[in-house]
Amino acid sequence: MIEADIHKTLSTANGKMLLDIQLSIEKGEFVTLYGSSGAGKTSTLRILAGLLSADEGKIAVDNTIWLDTVKKINYTPQQRKIGYVFQDYALFPNMTVRKNLEFALEKGQDKSIIEELITIVELKELENRKPKTLSGGQQQRVALARALVRKPKVLLLDEPLSALDITMRAKLQDYILKVHREYELTTILVSHDIGEIIKMSDKIYCLEDGKIDKEGNPISIFTNDKLSGKFQFTGEVIAIKQEEVVYIVTVLIGNNVVKIIAQESEIINLGIGDKVVVASKAFNPVLLKIGK
Amino acid sequence: MNTFSGHISDIQVNESLSMVSIRINEHIVFKTILVETPETASYLKNGSIVDVLFKETEVIISTEDTLLISVQNKIKGTIKKIKRGVLLSRLIVTTEIGDIVAIIATEALDTLLLKENSTVIAMIKVNEIMLSR
Repeated sequence: MIEADIHKTLSTANGKMLLDIQLSIEKGEFVTLYGSSGAGKTSTLRILAGLLSADEGKIAVDNTIWLDTVKKINYTPQQRKIGYVFQDYALFPNMTVRKNLEFALEKGQDKSIIEELITIVELKELENRKPKTLSGGQQQRVALARALVRKPKVLLLDEPLSALDITMRAKLQDYILKVHREYELTTILVSHDIGEIIKMSDKIYCLEDGKIDKEGNPISIFTNDKLSGKFQFTGEVIAIKQEEVVYIVTVLIGNNVVKIIAQESEIINLGIGDKVVVASKAFNPVLLKIGK
Repeated sequence: MNTFSGHISDIQVNESLSMVSIRINEHIVFKTILVETPETASYLKNGSIVDVLFKETEVIISTEDTLLISVQNKIKGTIKKIKRGVLLSRLIVTTEIGDIVAIIATEALDTLLLKENSTVIAMIKVNEIMLSR
């Protein structure tokens, strides 16, 4: 369980902003911080990690106090037992995949964890390669494994997948979910991708100007409860094609691709990569049982 | 999406379903069936302003106003414009509440001998209408 109450004045491009964040995260929960650039997501993550100091605040993880500015307790990043994955991988270029992982070992730590992680994120065939010979997705898998070498309780992911293409992103999401469950991690993700957030998170905090604007279940936050359609999904537009007198819009919903017939008035402000709610009435879909 | 604004004029509830009437103007009332009740959806009350939404592909076009049909929402209009495609055609029907767009099979367009200025009835089944606040 993570209880955090964080206050810090940040200097931003638009002047000073007060970061004022309260988090209450259950053990084993997968939580996402969502919000526009400069809302304070990365600063929150860095303060949790101990990479940035808070002006005032308290962070308690499973009854251990990591930070208490009143009692002058402030654990170092090493003491906090966190795994941190950045957008830009941050691997050592001169070391092989295996060496990158081994470098993260604590003094005297059992090396068997390296083998285990290499198996879990399927790096066996790549273990002797140098990072620059790997694809972005492969490098991020290495970064994910490296973040887990010290068996952290908390995994912090700062937009780890935003530089990857859509297929690679979906694969990495699966790896992240796998390690999240396997190691019973409490994971905090920073992400802008609504499909990704809905797929991965139990809870979402929406940040705006340094404060939590909304929190809750991602589906209820993102789907439109103002619309009576009971068959609603959030997806991303991947293609728009005009045919005859209609448009066919292809939308990626989770791992599924669906097609929707639309009118010019509906696609006029719509582009590839836009997030959309796909809605229909509960009366329209049919159900077909799969298998026996 | 065809969208018209109106206010809720009647709600009949049975278990988790509601049949909602939405008055658009003094003559036209749309009916829709929803898997919602006034308990589950706060906007379901008499007098609430809502938008009625239905897809162009769900609009049925007829040249005669027959009572012997199970479609409950019917509006008389005049075809303002036809855009003909190979399989599908797009009609704009001018009605007293505004333009309704319908996408129908081009074959049906020919069978019904539909032309611009033809008088038609646009029909929408109750289960094809969504409400939005």
